[in-house]
Amino acid sequence: MDLVDLISEKRFLGQEFLTWLWYKSEERGGTIYLPGKGDIQVVLEKHMLLESGEGESLEKLICRGLQAELQEARTGLLMGKKLEQARIHLAQGEYEWNLTLAASLFEFRNVKVPKTMTSEEESPDPGAIEGRILERIGMLEEATRTMNELFRTFLKVRVSPEWDDELIKVRTWVNKAAMN
Amino acid sequence: MGLLTGSSTFVRYSVDGDIPDNFWDFAAERIAAFSFKDIDDTFDEYSIGWVSVDNMFDSDFAYTSYAAGDYVVLSLRIDERKVSPAVLKKFTQKEEERIKKEKQVPKLSRTHRLEIKENMRLMLVKKAVPIPSVYDLCWNLSEGTLSFFATSQKAQAILEDFFKETFNLTLTLQIPFLTAAHLLDNDEQEALAQITPDIFV
Repeated sequence: MDLVDLISEKRFLGQEFLTWLWYKSEERGGTIYLPGKGDIQVVLEKHMLLESGEGESLEKLICRGLQAELQEARTGLLMGKKLEQARIHLAQGEYEWNLTLAASLFEFRNVKVPKTMTSEEESPDPGAIEGRILERIGMLEEATRTMNELFRTFLKVRVSPEWDDELIKVRTWVNKAAMN
Repeated sequence: MGLLTGSSTFVRYSVDGDIPDNFWDFAAERIAAFSFKDIDDTFDEYSIGWVSVDNMFDSDFAYTSYAAGDYVVLSLRIDERKVSPAVLKKFTQKEEERIKKEKQVPKLSRTHRLEIKENMRLMLVKKAVPIPSVYDLCWNLSEGTLSFFATSQKAQAILEDFFKETFNLTLTLQIPFLTAAHLLDNDEQEALAQITPDIFV
């Protein structure tokens, strides 16, 4: 199957993951356990884009708001929409990242990484530049690695018999969240 | 939005194909061969090539600045002289009017009008200043992955072709389904290929 067909046929996978991630992060008040890493903080906030249908019947819903409870977005879930984009706050130890994940293509947008250097350390000599580039790459890759690990956690459940139970929990959460 | 800017936007690729044993020699030769050539002082319409991620005017890569640890970091620079359609239309019409008056004819043939349009385009392209676009990339050699700092499909298609031309390696955009293949074992991958969308309400 070529990439164009694969993108449209498997579009749901990324969206199911992001929707599940919202549920998972609220299940334990913003904390998710990752094997090998322990507890990390994952909070979906600020900006969400939900979608349902495809082609001509595609419907989109955008919700923004700093402290909003995202009530409209939750109602969107109840209407059968899934998350296509969300702003995610990640925290691991003393480091924090903010990023927007576009689910169907796995685009990482506006990724903010923890700042570790002061401006005095940013000297223009080649060695210092290489160090700065490597540090920056390390921080960006840490974010993608963490998202991959979260995705793996989802996939493991998604392809296993446990998915039926998980789906019941997700549905309960969707119904409850929209009622509040 | 690039690698070194305050916030970064990127997509992930896998790099497929065999990397030569003497990779850094190979990379030095290929990057030099496909480095960016400035067209500010020429009349060329289009130029594409590699520049340093730290400085878009550096295509000589002093200190092999594209090498950072186990990574190759580069910027893809594209300079293009463009003519806005509205400007082209204006000059073409103006020229058509001039010729009609000169030759005392009410109408020009289609071939003649196309010729005028092409001449005007060439004249305007020469006057246009090249517009630069710069996109960063970061290639993780040990994992065989690459981050490309642009979400525009046009830029991605250009990168895929130009990367292939430079390094003879194929880039595959890592959409969730393809990312999953690296995260699951064989049995799980087979199960994943079978799943269909579920309803969450």
